[in-house]
Amino acid sequence: MYHTLLNSPVQYEAEMLLPTVETMVGVLYFGLFAMSFDFISGYTGYLSFGHAAFYGTGAYTVILVANGKFPLLGPETPFMISLLVAGLLAVVVALLVGLVSFRLSGVYFAMITLGFAQVLYVFIRGWDYVARNPRDGPAVGPSHASGFDIGVPWVDQLNLAIGVLTGDEVSLLGTTLSGTTVSFYMVGLVVLVCYFAMQRIIHSPFGRVMIAIRENEERAVAIGYNTYVYKLAAFCMSGFFAGVAGALFAGFRRSASPENSFYFLVSGDALLASIIGGFGTLAGPLYGRLFDETVREFLSKSGQGGGLLPYLRLLLGEGTLSTPVVGGMTVGGLIDTLLNGHASLYVGIVFVLFVLYVPDGLLGTIRNRIGGTVADALPAKVWDDE
Amino acid sequence: MIVETLADFLTVPELGTVVVNGLAKSALYVMIASGLTLIFGLMGVLNFAHGSLTMVGAYLAGLVMVTVVGQATGSVTRLAVFFVAILLVFGGLSVLGGAIETTLIRPLYDRPPIYQILLTFGLTLVIDEIVRIVLGVFGMQPISDWQAALATKPQFLREPAAVAGISVRWMAVFQILLGIVTVVGIWAFLTKTRYGLYIRAGSEDSEMAAALGIDVRQVFTVVFALGIGLAGAAGTLLMWDATWGASVPLAAETLLPAFIVVIVGGLGTFRGTVVAAVVVGMTDAVMTWWFQNYIQFTGLPELVLFLVLVVTLIVRPQGLFGVEEVGGH
Repeated sequence: MYHTLLNSPVQYEAEMLLPTVETMVGVLYFGLFAMSFDFISGYTGYLSFGHAAFYGTGAYTVILVANGKFPLLGPETPFMISLLVAGLLAVVVALLVGLVSFRLSGVYFAMITLGFAQVLYVFIRGWDYVARNPRDGPAVGPSHASGFDIGVPWVDQLNLAIGVLTGDEVSLLGTTLSGTTVSFYMVGLVVLVCYFAMQRIIHSPFGRVMIAIRENEERAVAIGYNTYVYKLAAFCMSGFFAGVAGALFAGFRRSASPENSFYFLVSGDALLASIIGGFGTLAGPLYGRLFDETVREFLSKSGQGGGLLPYLRLLLGEGTLSTPVVGGMTVGGLIDTLLNGHASLYVGIVFVLFVLYVPDGLLGTIRNRIGGTVADALPAKVWDDE
Repeated sequence: MIVETLADFLTVPELGTVVVNGLAKSALYVMIASGLTLIFGLMGVLNFAHGSLTMVGAYLAGLVMVTVVGQATGSVTRLAVFFVAILLVFGGLSVLGGAIETTLIRPLYDRPPIYQILLTFGLTLVIDEIVRIVLGVFGMQPISDWQAALATKPQFLREPAAVAGISVRWMAVFQILLGIVTVVGIWAFLTKTRYGLYIRAGSEDSEMAAALGIDVRQVFTVVFALGIGLAGAAGTLLMWDATWGASVPLAAETLLPAFIVVIVGGLGTFRGTVVAAVVVGMTDAVMTWWFQNYIQFTGLPELVLFLVLVVTLIVRPQGLFGVEEVGGH
């Protein structure tokens, strides 16, 4: 599909608008992290501002296992096992953080989780066991040169390797899927399984209690629920999926740093995705992250897939680009200044506008408009019309 | 080993230096955090953009200092320039703060408080990126030009002073004095002026205050403007401190300590903020000493500061002087 568009008459436009496959893999694993954030914050109303701690735990676990630095697990441990271990370790961290944090609520809860995450962040940044230079973070050593396998452990035929610049290529029905495309589908598979698991939990009686806590915790207590236990359990589950997301991130990127895993702004990015996609809708954060990444790539030169800047350069031509606008600055210079690597500005503006005018986010607004989830409402609408 | 280091630590000169350094840090923390606590106390808005605005203040102040330093040579004139910079930055950012409150935050008062946090969080992204663009356009790389602002510091503030065998930096004394002036100033404003009365009434019960004829909306705008102005003033002070200076990451570097101070003190209580600033500043100074002399772990002071936050919240969830209900659901 992507390649068809690239070879079509609108190739430049397509290259400008569409994110690359590599970006899409990022959307998937970070989308899962944002979902896990939304799972606790959007459904119980407790803003977990230190969620990056679980993501980072997952990422670091995978790399430490691969480098043989994890107790009891050697470097030959299958990726799927270390993925689970990453999730379970994140559950342990979530349990410890949650045990004390859930005595608080509101802003105080957000702050204590932030505090715990920052303690971990500063600790990891200074702990020279995890990497030779802990500030830059660890990378996967030579033990896994061909990428991590996603599939059924110990069965070679049912595994496909993922990774940037590595991973398996697959020939299927005459077309060859590149390593990155294979990574996209394999990471997507894990994300999908996690999504269905969370979906299942949300729609169970347990999920109902979570929503009851969000809507009115006092009433939930009054009708006999031990909300503390429910909140803690939901927090641990959320931690598990955040850990898995971090593990996928490390598995695909093959390195992690304190800044892109444990730092509080990583939680902030999840918050961003959740708000744009729809707070309190499970799939929303994935769309939010897609939106976020698309805007970023569209507006920044660094995206491999092109974006607005190279497109404008191509479209306007040298003559227009060198026309001065104000104070000796040319059109080209102006475009460069406003677009080159400053996507955060536009994402920030979009975010502020969403908070002000679209408080339900993309998915929430659509649901309000059509009166139910898309899956429910669309068939109903189609049958009605007939 | 630890006993010897402890014995070293407990000598008069070492301890004295640590205490003075700690108080100087406390003064900085009080400057950074007081605006945050004023805004939260009255409006219940946890302003995530506070650090970014401190950073903007630091750049503005640097600009004023660098442009005016050409005319100023003597120590007294330079000190005067500093106060001009503080006033200009305070004024400029207050106007900006007022504008932000009226256009962006006002529409959100009848929504759940989480939306105000989200909005100010989005604001930090926008402000940080605008600053980056402006820096890029004028080719101002964070370090080189802002060394010039640091260079406007009068000579006597650079020299170490020895008082009763304790070696201190005059800069530390200056910071402590400025911190005291700020604390007394805010305290007097809150307790001695009519407007301060409105603010205290509004923070107790804004509906009741409105019913009694106070224009609460106007009070909100003024407090937000003041809080942002204070953030800018703090930025000005940071420009003269060699360990800080102006840079885009300054936003996060000041926001997190400010959060710690405000939370440890109890959200929204000014008295708590002052006490917490002293506690946090002292902890910072003590841990810095231990890091330099005994415990080789990078980021030790920072780590302990966050531990102070976590432990405070565990032992006393509402903070040292906080009221239980404020900040909860």
